[in-house]
Amino acid sequence: MSSPPTADPRAEMLQGARSLAEAPPPGEARGITSDLSVDEALLLHSAGWEPVDLVCGVAVVSVPVGVWNWGQGTISAATDAHNTAVESAARQLRGECTKVHGHGVVGVRVQVEVRPHHIDVELVGTAVQPVAGTDGGGTPFVSDLSARDFILLKGAGWMPVGLAFGACFVYAPRRSAGVAMKQKTQNVELTNFTEAMYTARESAMERMQRSALDAGGQGVVQVRVTEGPMSFARHAVGFTAWGTAVRLVADSHQFLRPELVLPLDDAVVTFEAQSLRGK
Amino acid sequence: MSDGSPDLPEAAVRRLESNSFSSGLSVPDFAACLDLGLQPVALVQGFCVMQWGWYGAGSGYMRGASPYFGGQQYPGAYAETYRCPHGFVSTEHRTWGQNIEQPWVEAAWAQGYGSAYARMLEEAALHGAHGAIGVVDRVSHLADTGTTEFHFLGTAVTVEGGPPPAGGTPWSTYLAGQRLTKSIEAGFMPVAVVAALASVRVWAYCMTEYLMEGARTWGGPIGPQEVEQVSKAHMAVRQLARKHVREQLAGDALHGASIQVEKRELAAGDEVIDCTLRGNRMRRFKEFDEVPAPRPTVRLT
Repeated sequence: MSSPPTADPRAEMLQGARSLAEAPPPGEARGITSDLSVDEALLLHSAGWEPVDLVCGVAVVSVPVGVWNWGQGTISAATDAHNTAVESAARQLRGECTKVHGHGVVGVRVQVEVRPHHIDVELVGTAVQPVAGTDGGGTPFVSDLSARDFILLKGAGWMPVGLAFGACFVYAPRRSAGVAMKQKTQNVELTNFTEAMYTARESAMERMQRSALDAGGQGVVQVRVTEGPMSFARHAVGFTAWGTAVRLVADSHQFLRPELVLPLDDAVVTFEAQSLRGK
Repeated sequence: MSDGSPDLPEAAVRRLESNSFSSGLSVPDFAACLDLGLQPVALVQGFCVMQWGWYGAGSGYMRGASPYFGGQQYPGAYAETYRCPHGFVSTEHRTWGQNIEQPWVEAAWAQGYGSAYARMLEEAALHGAHGAIGVVDRVSHLADTGTTEFHFLGTAVTVEGGPPPAGGTPWSTYLAGQRLTKSIEAGFMPVAVVAALASVRVWAYCMTEYLMEGARTWGGPIGPQEVEQVSKAHMAVRQLARKHVREQLAGDALHGASIQVEKRELAAGDEVIDCTLRGNRMRRFKEFDEVPAPRPTVRLT
C-alpha cells in the first residue's frame, strides 16, 4: 500500500485563506449538504463515494381511539399504525434521495414517538453516490449505519439494501382477583407481563425479518430494540426492532483481517485531585 | 453595532487594545491551531435579544396570517389548503385548514441570529483577525419574558502571511483543532457558519382534528391512516430550512449539518413546527488528495 502523502498544514491553510480573498466561483453549482463529520466524508471518499444532500422522511399516522384500553392479545391497530408510519417515512426518504440522484442514504437517524392518538416517525440521513456520479438506476438503499460502518460493510463484500423494521404492541393480560390478592405480598414473577413481552418480541422480530427479506436482504445488522410498557397505558407493552438489511454482493464474504494495535498512551489517570479529598 | 462602526463599549476597546490574547480553545485545539499557522487573537462574542411579539394575536404581524381571515400571506411562501369533505355541519366544524409558512417568524429569527453573528465578526475584524474558529452559538429563552437570546462565541485568529478576507469580513467556522486541520487537508476552507429557521403553522381542518385526537368519525373509530396535513407540514418545514440554508451557500458546500425540530402543539392537529438547520459553509480550494484505503485495526485495550 502506498504511504499517505505528507502535507504541510500551514501551506494548505494559507492556500485556503488565499482562495477566500479571491472572488468566489460562479454560484450556479448546487453545493452539497451533509451531516457527516470530516472523518466520515474522507472515509467515503477513500472508498469512491461522496455525500450529495441531507435528506428527510417524516410520517404521522393516527391511532384509533380506544385501542389502548384493556383487551387481549396484539393491539393490531397500533402495530399497523407503527409499521405504516415507518414505511411511509422510508418511502419519502428514498424519494428525496432519488431526486438528488443519490444511490442510497447512510447514517439515518431514526426517531419514533408513540403517542396515544398518533405515531410519529422521522428519518434523517445523508444521500451518497459514487464519486463517478453514475445514475443509481435502482431503488436507493436506506441504512442507519454510519459512514464508517458502511465502508467496512462494503469492504467485506456486503451492501445495505434498506431499513428493516418491526414493531408490535400487546396487552398484558389481567390477573384474576384471586391471583392478584395472593401475589400481593409475594416476590413473584408477573408471568402475564413476561408472556406479553415475549409475544410482542416474537411478532416484532418476525416483522423485521420479513421486511428485510422483502427488501432483498439476507440478514440484518446493528439491530436495536426498545421495549417496555407504554407511559400512557401501563397494561400495554411495546417492542420495536430495527436495523439495516444487508446483502452479499461479492462472490463470498471478504475477510478484512484487521491489524492489532497496542496504543502506547497510558489511559490510567496518574493524579486525580478528587482523591485528595478522600473521594 | 452591526454596521461595522467601532462603537464598542469603552471597556471592550481597552481589552481589545491590550497586548495579550484570549481564546476559547482547549489546549489540544490551541496546539492544532498554532500548527496550522493560525494565531489566536481574542475571544470574541456577539449578543442579541429579540422579543417574540409576532406570535401574539393582536400583533400586526398576525394580520392576514390566519386562514380563517383569508388572503394570501406572503408571496412565494409555502401554503397548502385542505377542505372539509363533509359539507356544512355546524359553525364549530373546521371546514378548512391550512399549512402556512411563517416568514415573519423566520425573518425575526434571522435578524436575531444574524445580528449576534455580525457583532461577533465585528469584534474579530476590529482585532484585524482573518477568521473566527471554534464558534459556539446558543439560542435560548430568557426566563419567562417572551424573549430569545442569541449568543455567539468564538476565537478570532489571523493566518500567518495570509491575505485579509474578501470584503474585510472574517471567515468563521464551528470547527477547531483536529477537525479543522482535517478539513483543510481535505481541501475545504471554511467560509462562514450558516443557519436558518423555518417555521410552519398547521391550522387543522376537520379530518386532521379527528385523526389527531383518536381517529373517530360519526360512524365510529376508523383504522390507522396517515395524517396527510401534519405529515406534509413536517416535510415542508424541513425542506424550507434546507432551502433557506442553500440560499446562503452560493454553490459552496454545507458540512457537519445539524437539524433540530421543535413543535408546539396548540390543539388537536393545530401546531407550530420550527426547524433549525445549521452547519459550516465550506469552499473547496483544491481537489481531494489521494486518500489511502483505510486499514482496519483492533485496539488492544
